[in-house]
Amino acid sequence: MSLLVLNNVEVVYDSVFLAVKGVSLEVPKAGLVALLGANGAGKSTVLKSISGLLAAERGLVTRGQVTFDGEDMRVLDPPARVRRGLVHVLEGRHVFGHLTPEENLIAATSMHPDRAKVKRMVEEMFTHFPRLAERAKAQAGYLSGGEQQMLAIARALMTEPKLILLDEPSLGLAPFLVDEIFDIVRRINAVSGVAILLVEQNAVAALDLVETAYLIDQGRIVMSGTAAALAANPDIQDAYLGGAQKVDYHAVKHYRRRKRWLA
Amino acid sequence: MEFALILELSVNGIFIGLMYALVAAGLVLIYKTSGIANLAQGALAMMGAYVVWAISAQLGAPMWLAIPLGLIVMFGAGLLTERLALRRMIGQPVIMVIMLTIGIEIMLRGVLPGIFGAAVKKLDVGIPNDPLFIGDILINRATMIGGLISLALVALSIAFFNSRLGLMMRAVSDDQMASWSVGIRVDRAVAIAWGLSATMATTAGILWGSTQGVDWSLSLLLIKALAIAILGGLDSIPGVLLAGVLIGLAESLATGLLDPLVGGGTRDVVASVIILLTLLLRPHGLFGREHIERV
Repeated sequence: MSLLVLNNVEVVYDSVFLAVKGVSLEVPKAGLVALLGANGAGKSTVLKSISGLLAAERGLVTRGQVTFDGEDMRVLDPPARVRRGLVHVLEGRHVFGHLTPEENLIAATSMHPDRAKVKRMVEEMFTHFPRLAERAKAQAGYLSGGEQQMLAIARALMTEPKLILLDEPSLGLAPFLVDEIFDIVRRINAVSGVAILLVEQNAVAALDLVETAYLIDQGRIVMSGTAAALAANPDIQDAYLGGAQKVDYHAVKHYRRRKRWLA
Repeated sequence: MEFALILELSVNGIFIGLMYALVAAGLVLIYKTSGIANLAQGALAMMGAYVVWAISAQLGAPMWLAIPLGLIVMFGAGLLTERLALRRMIGQPVIMVIMLTIGIEIMLRGVLPGIFGAAVKKLDVGIPNDPLFIGDILINRATMIGGLISLALVALSIAFFNSRLGLMMRAVSDDQMASWSVGIRVDRAVAIAWGLSATMATTAGILWGSTQGVDWSLSLLLIKALAIAILGGLDSIPGVLLAGVLIGLAESLATGLLDPLVGGGTRDVVASVIILLTLLLRPHGLFGREHIERV
């Protein structure tokens, strides 16, 4: 059975704005799944409906089921979901800027009463992320974007998750840093068997990393399949991968190719 | 000007400043966790003093019982204020939340004297009133003991913010959404901050009530506390300690040295002038953290 199952989830903001219109998706145990889509397609909203953080933005899951590890998540508040093993790494990193990296890590351990264990976990994180260990005494707000993203991921790992919801880890990072972050994600998934649901606009990098992917557009899942199948799809190539064939721009007509699923 | 007079004014001023700092530390505690300046802090101090007075004078409990009972009641009152009033304001503009705390302040200032009567109540906590002579200088025993108790409590709250629970409260003040996403129970952290802050306010209310009596004017401690918190930096407890001492000193020296020249009343001007100057010259205060902006 899958670790996370979304069945026909519908999200409404402010009681009027329907942002997600019946999304269903699955993440298997230790799976690596991407949710792709353009700006405003509803990717982040889907993640927040899973982690429960919608409540802070006056959003509400009005229909459908969110099942994690066989348990209904809709009745639990976000801290309770974290304790079940479901952690959300927010878009834009959201590190605690005035705390040091070490304090950032400790702040995420409210579920672990055992102090010796917390200490051990912090040391473990610093061996996995040596760049954070170098900056251990600086305020996290002054770390570089890549370091902050590493810190956000390390902080999420401190909660001992079964599934990480990873929102736009490549946001605002140089290409070589994107590669480094994606390597880290791959390693976490392979070594510790943590499942990952990755939301990305950078479809090229994401399809290279994951096993399966879903494509979301205007609040609906419009396509799903293995990463290879999606990467080969001409519509996806056109809309998200920047076109595979060479285009003669003199011959291009002045309308854009219609996305076929909108018909 | 005699040296002994200045020394005497300074020493007493420092102790008074520490007693102000205790009220300011409560302000900082709430600001550090929820980012709100609680303008009802003075009224909470007044309420605490009234509660302790009511338990001892009305119900006849001895003082050693009335004080801990009062602290417990006020911890509960702090939790309730957060739960009933502040939690509804989540997601609302900051100005509305601040207006709400002003509303609580005005309400308490009207209701409590209304219930207990407006006459000044005598609150005797057993601190002897006779002055203490060290060499030539005369020290007010009540403010000395009050100052030392305040110092101990403020030091305790510094230690608290370095503990694990305190660390999580600092995380909440940095980013509530992120705190929530990594499993910190944000609402509980904010509620505890309100409870502790009300307890600190009560201690200050008892100390001040025992020196000047209990009536509505205890809520004016807010002005001094605001001056201290702004000068020290709204989110720095060590800043509160230093700023408290500075403001106590400035007040005491102004009263002793300027009052004879201008005919009195400089004491209350000092705090206002310090608020004004700090905001103009150093809006973050002495130790306040600056907004980190990466470029």
